[in-house]
Amino acid sequence: MYSWRKLKDRLFLALVLAISIVAIAPLIHLIIVTMLNGFSVILNAGLGFFTENPPTPTSKNVGGIAPSLVGSILLTALSLPITVFIALFASIMAVEFPNNPLSIAVDVVAKSLASVPTIVVSMVVYLLVVVPMGRFSILAGAIALTIVSLPYTYTYFSTYLRSVPTTYREAAFAIGMSRWRAVINVSLPIIRRGFLVTILMTMARILGETAALLFTVGRYRTGVSFSVLSPSDAIPLLIFDYILTPYKVFQEVAWGAATLLLIAYLIIFIVAKFVIKEVRL
Amino acid sequence: MDYAIEMNNVNVYIDNRHILKNISLKVPYNTVYVIMGPSGSGKTTLLRVINRLIDVNPNAKVEGVVKVLGLNALNHDPYDLRRHIGMLFQVPNPFPHMTIYDNVAVAARINNVARNKKDLYEVVKWALEKAMLWDEVKDRLHDYPHQLSGGQKQRLCLARALAMKPKILLLDEPTANIDPVNARKLEEAIISLKNEITIVMVTHNPHQAARVADYVSIIYDGRIVEQGPASQIFLKPSTEIAQKLLRGEI
Repeated sequence: MYSWRKLKDRLFLALVLAISIVAIAPLIHLIIVTMLNGFSVILNAGLGFFTENPPTPTSKNVGGIAPSLVGSILLTALSLPITVFIALFASIMAVEFPNNPLSIAVDVVAKSLASVPTIVVSMVVYLLVVVPMGRFSILAGAIALTIVSLPYTYTYFSTYLRSVPTTYREAAFAIGMSRWRAVINVSLPIIRRGFLVTILMTMARILGETAALLFTVGRYRTGVSFSVLSPSDAIPLLIFDYILTPYKVFQEVAWGAATLLLIAYLIIFIVAKFVIKEVRL
Repeated sequence: MDYAIEMNNVNVYIDNRHILKNISLKVPYNTVYVIMGPSGSGKTTLLRVINRLIDVNPNAKVEGVVKVLGLNALNHDPYDLRRHIGMLFQVPNPFPHMTIYDNVAVAARINNVARNKKDLYEVVKWALEKAMLWDEVKDRLHDYPHQLSGGQKQRLCLARALAMKPKILLLDEPTANIDPVNARKLEEAIISLKNEITIVMVTHNPHQAARVADYVSIIYDGRIVEQGPASQIFLKPSTEIAQKLLRGEI
Protein backbone atom coordinates (compact mmCIF):
# COMPACT_ATOMS: atom_id res chain seq x y z
CA MET A 1 0.00 0.00 0.00
CA TYR A 2 2.79 2.37 1.02
CA SER A 3 4.94 1.60 -2.03
CA TRP A 4 1.94 2.11 -4.36
CA ARG A 5 1.35 5.54 -2.80
CA LYS A 6 5.04 6.34 -3.17
CA LEU A 7 4.97 5.23 -6.83
CA LYS A 8 1.90 7.40 -7.51
CA ASP A 9 3.63 10.34 -5.86
CA ARG A 10 6.70 9.90 -8.06
CA LEU A 11 4.62 9.44 -11.21
CA PHE A 12 2.74 12.63 -10.45
CA LEU A 13 5.97 14.50 -9.78
CA ALA A 14 7.40 13.27 -13.10
CA LEU A 15 4.23 14.37 -14.89
CA VAL A 16 4.39 17.86 -13.36
CA LEU A 17 8.07 18.09 -14.29
CA ALA A 18 7.38 17.01 -17.88
CA ILE A 19 4.54 19.53 -18.26
CA SER A 20 6.73 22.28 -16.82
CA ILE A 21 9.50 21.48 -19.33
CA VAL A 22 6.98 21.52 -22.20
CA ALA A 23 5.67 24.87 -20.95
CA ILE A 24 9.04 26.61 -20.67
CA ALA A 25 10.68 24.95 -23.70
CA PRO A 26 9.35 27.53 -26.21
CA LEU A 27 10.61 30.36 -23.99
CA ILE A 28 14.07 28.85 -23.69
CA HIS A 29 14.09 28.14 -27.45
CA LEU A 30 13.15 31.76 -28.14
CA ILE A 31 15.89 33.10 -25.87
CA ILE A 32 18.56 30.79 -27.37
CA VAL A 33 17.59 31.47 -31.02
CA THR A 34 17.43 35.25 -30.47
CA MET A 35 20.75 35.29 -28.64
CA LEU A 36 22.45 33.09 -31.23
CA ASN A 37 21.25 35.24 -34.11
CA GLY A 38 21.56 38.63 -32.53
CA PHE A 39 24.44 38.58 -30.11
CA SER A 40 27.06 38.21 -32.83
CA VAL A 41 25.48 41.11 -34.74
CA ILE A 42 25.86 43.41 -31.73
CA LEU A 43 29.42 42.19 -31.09
CA ASN A 44 30.45 42.70 -34.73
CA ALA A 45 28.86 46.16 -34.92
CA GLY A 46 30.40 47.19 -31.61
CA LEU A 47 29.47 50.53 -30.10
CA GLY A 48 28.23 51.65 -33.52
CA PHE A 49 25.15 49.48 -33.04
CA PHE A 50 23.96 51.99 -30.44
CA THR A 51 25.16 55.19 -32.11
CA GLU A 52 24.74 54.80 -35.88
CA ASN A 53 21.73 54.93 -38.18
CA PRO A 54 20.35 51.71 -39.71
CA PRO A 55 21.92 50.48 -42.98
CA THR A 56 20.56 50.76 -46.51
CA PRO A 57 19.62 47.51 -48.30
CA THR A 58 22.96 47.52 -50.15
CA SER A 59 25.15 48.34 -47.12
CA LYS A 60 27.94 45.98 -46.20
CA ASN A 61 27.82 46.95 -42.50
CA VAL A 62 24.81 46.54 -40.21
CA GLY A 63 25.21 50.07 -38.88
CA GLY A 64 23.13 50.71 -35.78
CA ILE A 65 19.72 51.35 -34.32
CA ALA A 66 20.34 54.77 -32.75
CA PRO A 67 17.08 56.42 -33.96
CA SER A 68 14.97 53.51 -32.71
CA LEU A 69 16.91 53.24 -29.45
CA VAL A 70 16.52 56.95 -28.68
CA GLY A 71 12.86 56.79 -29.75
CA SER A 72 12.18 53.86 -27.42
CA ILE A 73 13.93 55.61 -24.53
CA LEU A 74 11.96 58.84 -25.10
CA LEU A 75 8.67 56.97 -25.50
CA THR A 76 9.30 55.12 -22.23
CA ALA A 77 10.45 58.24 -20.42
CA LEU A 78 7.28 60.07 -21.44
CA SER A 79 4.74 57.29 -21.18
CA LEU A 80 5.90 55.47 -18.04
CA PRO A 81 5.46 58.31 -15.47
CA ILE A 82 2.09 59.30 -16.94
CA THR A 83 0.87 55.69 -16.92
CA VAL A 84 2.12 55.03 -13.40
CA PHE A 85 0.66 58.27 -12.04
CA ILE A 86 -2.80 57.78 -13.56
CA ALA A 87 -2.95 54.04 -12.77
CA LEU A 88 -1.82 54.56 -9.19
CA PHE A 89 -4.31 57.35 -8.56
CA ALA A 90 -7.13 55.33 -10.14
CA SER A 91 -6.28 52.17 -8.19
CA ILE A 92 -6.13 54.10 -4.89
CA MET A 93 -9.56 55.55 -5.67
CA ALA A 94 -10.92 52.11 -6.54
CA VAL A 95 -9.56 50.43 -3.42
CA GLU A 96 -10.09 53.18 -0.85
CA PHE A 97 -13.39 54.56 -2.13
CA PRO A 98 -15.03 51.53 -3.79
CA ASN A 99 -18.56 52.99 -3.65
CA ASN A 100 -17.62 56.35 -5.16
CA PRO A 101 -19.21 56.73 -8.64
CA LEU A 102 -15.87 57.98 -10.02
CA SER A 103 -14.11 54.84 -8.74
CA ILE A 104 -16.77 52.61 -10.27
CA ALA A 105 -16.47 54.46 -13.59
CA VAL A 106 -12.66 54.22 -13.54
CA ASP A 107 -12.84 50.49 -12.83
CA VAL A 108 -15.27 49.88 -15.70
CA VAL A 109 -13.23 52.00 -18.14
CA ALA A 110 -9.95 50.31 -17.17
CA LYS A 111 -11.41 46.84 -17.61
CA SER A 112 -12.99 47.80 -20.94
CA LEU A 113 -9.74 49.33 -22.21
CA ALA A 114 -7.93 46.05 -21.56
CA SER A 115 -10.06 44.32 -24.17
CA VAL A 116 -9.60 46.96 -26.91
CA PRO A 117 -7.11 45.76 -29.58
CA THR A 118 -3.94 47.83 -29.39
CA ILE A 119 -4.03 48.55 -33.12
CA VAL A 120 -7.43 50.19 -32.64
CA VAL A 121 -5.86 52.41 -29.96
CA SER A 122 -3.19 53.35 -32.49
CA MET A 123 -5.87 54.28 -35.05
CA VAL A 124 -7.81 56.38 -32.53
CA VAL A 125 -4.67 58.26 -31.47
CA TYR A 126 -3.84 58.76 -35.15
CA LEU A 127 -7.22 60.44 -35.68
CA LEU A 128 -7.18 62.47 -32.47
CA VAL A 129 -3.51 63.47 -32.21
CA VAL A 130 -1.52 62.78 -35.39
CA VAL A 131 -4.04 64.26 -37.85
CA PRO A 132 -4.62 67.54 -35.93
CA MET A 133 -0.84 67.92 -35.34
CA GLY A 134 -0.13 67.18 -38.97
CA ARG A 135 2.70 64.78 -38.18
CA PHE A 136 3.69 61.63 -36.39
CA SER A 137 5.42 62.17 -33.08
CA ILE A 138 6.86 60.71 -29.91
CA LEU A 139 3.99 62.44 -28.09
CA ALA A 140 1.36 60.58 -30.12
CA GLY A 141 3.23 57.31 -29.58
CA ALA A 142 3.48 57.94 -25.85
CA ILE A 143 -0.25 58.67 -25.62
CA ALA A 144 -1.03 55.41 -27.43
CA LEU A 145 1.36 53.49 -25.20
CA THR A 146 -0.19 55.05 -22.08
CA ILE A 147 -3.68 54.01 -23.16
CA VAL A 148 -2.49 50.49 -23.91
CA SER A 149 -0.54 50.08 -20.65
CA LEU A 150 -3.03 51.73 -18.29
CA PRO A 151 -5.41 48.79 -17.77
CA TYR A 152 -2.55 46.42 -16.95
CA THR A 153 -0.81 48.83 -14.60
CA TYR A 154 -4.13 49.70 -12.93
CA THR A 155 -4.98 46.02 -12.44
CA TYR A 156 -1.56 45.25 -10.96
CA PHE A 157 -1.66 48.25 -8.60
CA SER A 158 -5.21 47.64 -7.40
CA THR A 159 -4.51 43.93 -6.84
CA TYR A 160 -1.45 44.77 -4.74
CA LEU A 161 -3.29 47.49 -2.80
CA ARG A 162 -6.17 45.12 -2.05
CA SER A 163 -3.65 42.60 -0.71
CA VAL A 164 -2.69 44.92 2.19
CA PRO A 165 -4.37 43.40 5.27
CA THR A 166 -7.21 45.61 6.54
CA THR A 167 -5.73 45.50 10.02
CA TYR A 168 -2.78 47.74 8.98
CA ARG A 169 -5.08 50.27 7.36
CA GLU A 170 -7.25 50.30 10.46
CA ALA A 171 -4.18 50.76 12.65
CA ALA A 172 -3.26 53.77 10.50
CA PHE A 173 -6.74 55.28 10.84
CA ALA A 174 -6.68 54.59 14.59
CA ILE A 175 -3.61 56.80 15.08
CA GLY A 176 -5.25 59.66 13.22
CA MET A 177 -4.09 59.15 9.63
CA SER A 178 -6.47 60.14 6.85
CA ARG A 179 -7.19 57.68 4.05
CA TRP A 180 -4.66 59.31 1.70
CA ARG A 181 -2.01 59.49 4.37
CA ALA A 182 -2.64 55.83 5.25
CA VAL A 183 -2.12 54.91 1.60
CA ILE A 184 1.10 56.90 1.33
CA ASN A 185 2.58 56.02 4.74
CA VAL A 186 1.32 52.47 5.18
CA SER A 187 -0.21 50.71 2.16
CA LEU A 188 2.33 51.77 -0.48
CA PRO A 189 5.41 51.01 1.64
CA ILE A 190 3.97 47.59 2.53
CA ILE A 191 3.48 46.75 -1.15
CA ARG A 192 6.75 48.44 -2.22
CA ARG A 193 7.92 45.29 -3.99
CA GLY A 194 4.65 44.96 -5.90
CA PHE A 195 4.75 48.67 -6.62
CA LEU A 196 8.24 48.54 -8.14
CA VAL A 197 7.54 45.27 -9.95
CA THR A 198 4.46 46.89 -11.52
CA ILE A 199 6.55 49.84 -12.69
CA LEU A 200 9.12 47.49 -14.21
CA MET A 201 6.42 45.38 -15.88
CA THR A 202 4.82 48.52 -17.29
CA MET A 203 8.24 49.56 -18.58
CA ALA A 204 8.66 46.15 -20.21
CA ARG A 205 5.25 46.44 -21.83
CA ILE A 206 5.96 49.94 -23.14
CA LEU A 207 9.35 48.87 -24.50
CA GLY A 208 7.88 45.88 -26.32
CA GLU A 209 4.61 47.27 -27.67
CA THR A 210 4.40 47.42 -31.48
CA ALA A 211 0.83 47.78 -32.71
CA ALA A 212 0.12 50.92 -30.68
CA LEU A 213 2.99 52.66 -32.49
CA LEU A 214 2.10 51.66 -36.05
CA PHE A 215 0.10 54.82 -36.86
CA THR A 216 1.49 57.17 -34.26
CA VAL A 217 5.26 57.43 -33.96
CA GLY A 218 6.30 57.57 -37.59
CA ARG A 219 9.22 55.19 -38.35
CA TYR A 220 11.74 57.99 -38.84
CA ARG A 221 15.07 56.14 -39.05
CA THR A 222 17.38 58.39 -41.01
CA GLY A 223 18.49 60.39 -38.00
CA VAL A 224 18.12 60.67 -34.27
CA SER A 225 15.28 62.88 -33.07
CA PHE A 226 15.20 64.22 -29.54
CA SER A 227 12.03 66.29 -29.90
CA VAL A 228 8.85 64.75 -28.53
CA LEU A 229 6.87 66.63 -31.17
CA SER A 230 8.80 65.13 -34.08
CA PRO A 231 8.49 61.75 -35.78
CA SER A 232 10.75 59.04 -34.42
CA ASP A 233 11.01 55.27 -34.24
CA ALA A 234 10.96 52.46 -31.70
CA ILE A 235 12.85 49.18 -31.43
CA PRO A 236 9.80 46.89 -31.82
CA LEU A 237 8.72 48.78 -34.96
CA LEU A 238 12.18 48.41 -36.43
CA ILE A 239 12.18 44.66 -35.71
CA PHE A 240 8.69 44.29 -37.18
CA ASP A 241 9.65 46.09 -40.39
CA TYR A 242 13.17 44.70 -40.93
CA ILE A 243 12.60 41.04 -40.17
CA LEU A 244 10.00 40.84 -42.97
CA THR A 245 12.31 42.32 -45.64
CA PRO A 246 14.31 40.14 -48.03
CA TYR A 247 17.54 41.98 -47.22
CA LYS A 248 19.99 40.02 -45.08
CA VAL A 249 21.52 43.15 -43.57
CA PHE A 250 18.09 44.34 -42.38
CA GLN A 251 17.33 40.93 -40.89
CA GLU A 252 20.63 41.03 -39.02
CA VAL A 253 19.75 44.46 -37.58
CA ALA A 254 16.37 43.07 -36.51
CA TRP A 255 18.00 40.15 -34.70
CA GLY A 256 20.45 42.47 -33.00
CA ALA A 257 17.62 44.78 -31.90
CA ALA A 258 15.58 41.82 -30.66
CA THR A 259 18.56 40.64 -28.61
CA LEU A 260 18.90 44.07 -27.09
CA LEU A 261 15.22 44.10 -26.18
CA LEU A 262 15.53 40.61 -24.70
CA ILE A 263 18.51 41.65 -22.59
CA ALA A 264 16.50 44.63 -21.35
CA TYR A 265 13.65 42.26 -20.41
CA LEU A 266 16.01 39.88 -18.63
CA ILE A 267 17.51 42.74 -16.62
CA ILE A 268 14.02 43.98 -15.69
CA PHE A 269 13.00 40.44 -14.70
CA ILE A 270 16.11 39.88 -12.58
CA VAL A 271 15.73 43.22 -10.82
CA ALA A 272 12.03 42.56 -10.18
CA LYS A 273 12.60 39.02 -8.98
CA PHE A 274 15.78 39.15 -6.98
CA VAL A 275 16.81 42.71 -6.15
CA ILE A 276 13.64 44.27 -4.73
CA LYS A 277 13.01 42.97 -1.22
CA GLU A 278 9.54 42.15 0.08
CA VAL A 279 8.25 43.55 3.38
CA ARG A 280 7.97 40.74 5.96
CA LEU A 281 4.56 40.83 7.59
CA MET B 1 -20.59 64.60 36.57
CA ASP B 2 -18.71 64.76 33.29
CA TYR B 3 -18.06 61.58 31.38
CA ALA B 4 -15.32 60.75 28.88
CA ILE B 5 -17.80 58.79 26.79
CA GLU B 6 -21.59 58.95 26.76
CA MET B 7 -23.83 56.87 24.53
CA ASN B 8 -27.54 57.36 24.30
CA ASN B 9 -29.85 55.02 22.41
CA VAL B 10 -27.17 54.00 19.94
CA ASN B 11 -28.23 51.61 17.19
CA VAL B 12 -25.87 50.17 14.60
CA TYR B 13 -26.88 48.43 11.39
CA ILE B 14 -24.41 46.62 9.14
CA ASP B 15 -25.72 45.33 5.81
CA ASN B 16 -29.22 45.99 7.23
CA ARG B 17 -28.57 43.68 10.20
CA HIS B 18 -29.31 45.27 13.56
CA ILE B 19 -25.98 44.77 15.41
CA LEU B 20 -26.26 47.15 18.39
CA LYS B 21 -29.65 47.84 19.93
CA ASN B 22 -30.43 50.90 22.05
CA ILE B 23 -27.03 51.07 23.70
CA SER B 24 -26.74 53.64 26.48
CA LEU B 25 -23.69 53.89 28.71
CA LYS B 26 -21.52 56.42 30.53
CA VAL B 27 -17.78 56.02 31.01
CA PRO B 28 -16.32 58.23 33.77
CA TYR B 29 -12.91 59.87 33.20
CA ASN B 30 -9.78 57.91 34.16
CA THR B 31 -11.43 54.59 34.85
CA VAL B 32 -11.21 51.16 33.28
CA TYR B 33 -14.56 50.31 31.72
CA VAL B 34 -14.82 46.69 30.64
CA ILE B 35 -17.29 45.41 28.07
CA MET B 36 -17.97 41.70 28.30
CA GLY B 37 -20.11 39.40 26.27
CA PRO B 38 -20.06 36.25 24.20
CA SER B 39 -18.62 36.16 20.66
CA GLY B 40 -20.71 38.01 18.12
CA SER B 41 -22.58 40.06 20.71
CA GLY B 42 -21.37 43.40 19.28
CA LYS B 43 -18.51 44.29 21.64
CA THR B 44 -16.00 45.21 18.93
CA THR B 45 -18.65 47.13 16.99
CA LEU B 46 -19.35 49.14 20.14
CA LEU B 47 -15.65 50.08 20.43
CA ARG B 48 -15.53 51.06 16.77
CA VAL B 49 -18.43 53.42 17.20
CA ILE B 50 -16.47 55.36 19.82
CA ASN B 51 -13.56 56.20 17.48
CA ARG B 52 -15.66 56.06 14.29
CA LEU B 53 -13.57 53.23 12.89
CA ILE B 54 -16.95 51.78 12.01
CA ASP B 55 -16.94 54.28 9.12
CA VAL B 56 -14.37 52.11 7.36
CA ASN B 57 -17.25 49.76 6.60
CA PRO B 58 -19.33 51.58 3.96
CA ASN B 59 -22.34 49.41 4.77
CA ALA B 60 -22.50 50.43 8.43
CA LYS B 61 -25.11 52.90 9.72
CA VAL B 62 -25.00 54.43 13.20
CA GLU B 63 -27.94 56.14 14.91
CA GLY B 64 -28.21 57.79 18.32
CA VAL B 65 -26.02 60.11 20.34
CA VAL B 66 -22.34 59.45 21.00
CA LYS B 67 -20.43 62.02 23.03
CA VAL B 68 -16.67 61.59 23.31
CA LEU B 69 -14.76 64.10 25.44
CA GLY B 70 -17.75 66.38 25.11
CA LEU B 71 -17.65 66.23 21.31
CA ASN B 72 -20.59 64.99 19.29
CA ALA B 73 -18.64 62.06 17.84
CA LEU B 74 -21.02 61.20 15.02
CA ASN B 75 -20.85 64.73 13.58
CA HIS B 76 -17.22 65.46 14.38
CA ASP B 77 -14.35 65.01 11.90
CA PRO B 78 -13.41 61.35 12.45
CA TYR B 79 -9.68 61.95 11.85
CA ASP B 80 -9.60 64.67 14.48
CA LEU B 81 -11.66 62.53 16.86
CA ARG B 82 -9.26 59.59 16.51
CA ARG B 83 -6.33 61.79 17.51
CA HIS B 84 -7.71 61.75 21.07
CA ILE B 85 -8.39 58.00 21.09
CA GLY B 86 -5.77 55.28 20.95
CA MET B 87 -6.77 51.75 20.00
CA LEU B 88 -5.29 48.32 20.47
CA PHE B 89 -6.63 45.54 18.28
CA GLN B 90 -7.20 41.86 18.93
CA VAL B 91 -4.38 40.82 16.61
CA PRO B 92 -1.11 42.79 17.00
CA ASN B 93 -0.68 44.97 13.93
CA PRO B 94 2.56 46.97 14.10
CA PHE B 95 3.45 48.46 10.71
CA PRO B 96 5.71 45.81 9.18
CA HIS B 97 7.74 48.21 7.03
CA MET B 98 8.71 50.47 9.94
CA THR B 99 11.33 49.87 12.61
CA ILE B 100 10.34 49.51 16.25
CA TYR B 101 11.29 53.16 16.80
CA ASP B 102 9.37 54.40 13.78
CA ASN B 103 6.28 52.40 14.71
CA VAL B 104 5.99 54.47 17.87
CA ALA B 105 7.35 57.71 16.43
CA VAL B 106 4.87 57.79 13.56
CA ALA B 107 1.94 58.16 15.97
CA ALA B 108 3.68 61.04 17.74
CA ARG B 109 4.56 62.72 14.43
CA ILE B 110 1.05 62.44 12.98
CA ASN B 111 -0.41 64.02 16.10
CA ASN B 112 2.28 66.71 16.52
CA VAL B 113 3.20 65.43 19.95
CA ALA B 114 6.92 66.19 19.58
CA ARG B 115 8.51 69.46 18.48
CA ASN B 116 11.94 68.16 17.49
CA LYS B 117 14.01 64.97 17.20
CA LYS B 118 15.03 65.01 20.86
CA ASP B 119 11.42 65.44 21.96
CA LEU B 120 10.41 62.64 19.66
CA TYR B 121 12.99 60.29 21.15
CA GLU B 122 11.73 61.15 24.64
CA VAL B 123 8.12 60.47 23.63
CA VAL B 124 9.08 57.13 22.05
CA LYS B 125 11.05 56.16 25.15
CA TRP B 126 8.21 57.21 27.46
CA ALA B 127 5.64 55.25 25.41
CA LEU B 128 7.80 52.11 25.30
CA GLU B 129 8.40 52.37 29.05
CA LYS B 130 4.68 52.75 29.73
CA ALA B 131 4.06 49.68 27.55
CA MET B 132 6.72 47.84 29.59
CA LEU B 133 8.75 47.15 26.45
CA TRP B 134 11.64 49.61 26.70
CA ASP B 135 14.02 47.26 28.54
CA GLU B 136 13.50 44.56 25.93
CA VAL B 137 13.98 46.73 22.83
CA LYS B 138 16.17 49.67 23.86
CA ASP B 139 19.18 48.14 22.08
CA ARG B 140 17.29 47.13 18.98
CA LEU B 141 15.10 50.11 18.18
CA HIS B 142 16.03 49.79 14.50
CA ASP B 143 14.91 46.17 14.21
CA TYR B 144 11.65 45.37 12.48
CA PRO B 145 8.49 44.08 14.22
CA HIS B 146 8.74 40.63 12.63
CA GLN B 147 11.75 40.09 14.91
CA LEU B 148 9.53 40.47 18.00
CA SER B 149 7.31 37.86 19.68
CA GLY B 150 3.52 38.16 19.46
CA GLY B 151 3.26 39.64 22.96
CA GLN B 152 6.06 42.13 22.29
CA LYS B 153 4.31 43.17 19.08
CA GLN B 154 1.13 43.82 21.05
CA ARG B 155 3.01 45.93 23.60
CA LEU B 156 4.63 47.79 20.70
CA CYS B 157 1.14 48.56 19.46
CA LEU B 158 0.24 49.79 22.94
CA ALA B 159 3.31 52.06 22.85
CA ARG B 160 2.22 53.33 19.42
CA ALA B 161 -1.22 54.14 20.78
CA LEU B 162 0.26 55.88 23.84
CA ALA B 163 2.66 57.97 21.73
CA MET B 164 -0.38 59.86 20.47
CA LYS B 165 -0.90 61.01 24.09
CA PRO B 166 -4.53 59.94 23.89
CA LYS B 167 -7.18 60.80 26.44
CA ILE B 168 -9.03 57.54 25.77
CA LEU B 169 -7.65 54.09 25.05
CA LEU B 170 -9.78 51.40 23.41
CA LEU B 171 -8.59 47.83 23.90
CA ASP B 172 -10.20 45.11 21.82
CA GLU B 173 -9.38 41.81 23.56
CA PRO B 174 -5.72 42.83 23.65
CA THR B 175 -4.49 39.65 25.33
CA ALA B 176 -6.56 37.20 23.28
CA ASN B 177 -3.71 36.17 21.00
CA ILE B 178 -0.65 36.38 23.23
CA ASP B 179 1.04 34.16 25.80
CA PRO B 180 0.28 34.44 29.56
CA VAL B 181 3.58 36.17 30.44
CA ASN B 182 3.04 38.90 27.86
CA ALA B 183 -0.64 39.08 28.81
CA ARG B 184 0.35 39.78 32.42
CA LYS B 185 2.79 42.52 31.38
CA LEU B 186 0.13 44.11 29.21
CA GLU B 187 -2.37 43.95 32.03
CA GLU B 188 0.12 45.62 34.40
CA ALA B 189 0.66 48.34 31.83
CA ILE B 190 -3.11 48.89 31.57
CA ILE B 191 -3.50 49.13 35.35
CA SER B 192 -0.61 51.61 35.58
CA LEU B 193 -2.29 53.83 32.95
CA LYS B 194 -5.72 54.07 34.44
CA ASN B 195 -5.05 57.19 36.48
CA GLU B 196 -4.03 59.10 33.35
CA ILE B 197 -6.24 57.71 30.60
CA THR B 198 -9.82 56.54 30.29
CA ILE B 199 -9.69 52.92 29.20
CA VAL B 200 -12.47 50.96 27.54
CA MET B 201 -11.59 47.30 27.22
CA VAL B 202 -13.38 44.42 25.56
CA THR B 203 -12.57 41.04 27.03
CA HIS B 204 -13.84 37.50 27.13
CA ASN B 205 -11.96 36.71 30.27
CA PRO B 206 -13.94 37.32 33.52
CA HIS B 207 -10.81 36.93 35.67
CA GLN B 208 -8.98 39.60 33.69
CA ALA B 209 -12.05 41.83 33.87
CA ALA B 210 -12.19 41.37 37.64
CA ARG B 211 -8.52 42.36 37.96
CA VAL B 212 -8.66 45.56 35.94
CA ALA B 213 -12.23 46.85 35.77
CA ASP B 214 -13.79 49.76 37.63
CA TYR B 215 -17.04 49.47 35.69
CA VAL B 216 -18.49 46.64 33.64
CA SER B 217 -21.12 46.36 30.92
CA ILE B 218 -22.39 43.00 29.83
CA ILE B 219 -23.61 42.88 26.29
CA TYR B 220 -25.63 40.09 24.75
CA ASP B 221 -27.09 39.95 21.26
CA GLY B 222 -26.41 43.66 20.73
CA ARG B 223 -28.06 44.82 23.96
CA ILE B 224 -26.56 45.81 27.29
CA VAL B 225 -28.14 43.40 29.75
CA GLU B 226 -26.33 44.61 32.86
CA GLN B 227 -23.95 47.40 33.77
CA GLY B 228 -22.51 49.03 36.85
CA PRO B 229 -19.46 49.14 39.15
CA ALA B 230 -17.25 46.07 38.77
CA SER B 231 -17.67 45.01 42.40
CA GLN B 232 -21.44 44.95 42.03
CA ILE B 233 -21.40 43.02 38.73
CA PHE B 234 -18.90 40.42 39.91
CA LEU B 235 -20.35 39.90 43.37
CA LYS B 236 -24.06 40.15 42.64
CA PRO B 237 -24.85 39.74 38.96
CA SER B 238 -28.58 40.24 38.69
CA THR B 239 -29.33 38.74 35.29
CA GLU B 240 -29.07 35.12 34.28
CA ILE B 241 -26.94 36.02 31.23
CA ALA B 242 -24.41 37.86 33.41
CA GLN B 243 -24.29 34.93 35.83
CA LYS B 244 -23.70 32.45 32.98
CA LEU B 245 -21.07 34.69 31.38
CA LEU B 246 -19.15 35.06 34.62
CA ARG B 247 -19.27 31.29 35.14
CA GLY B 248 -17.86 30.88 31.64
CA GLU B 249 -20.95 29.05 30.40
CA ILE B 250 -21.61 31.31 27.42
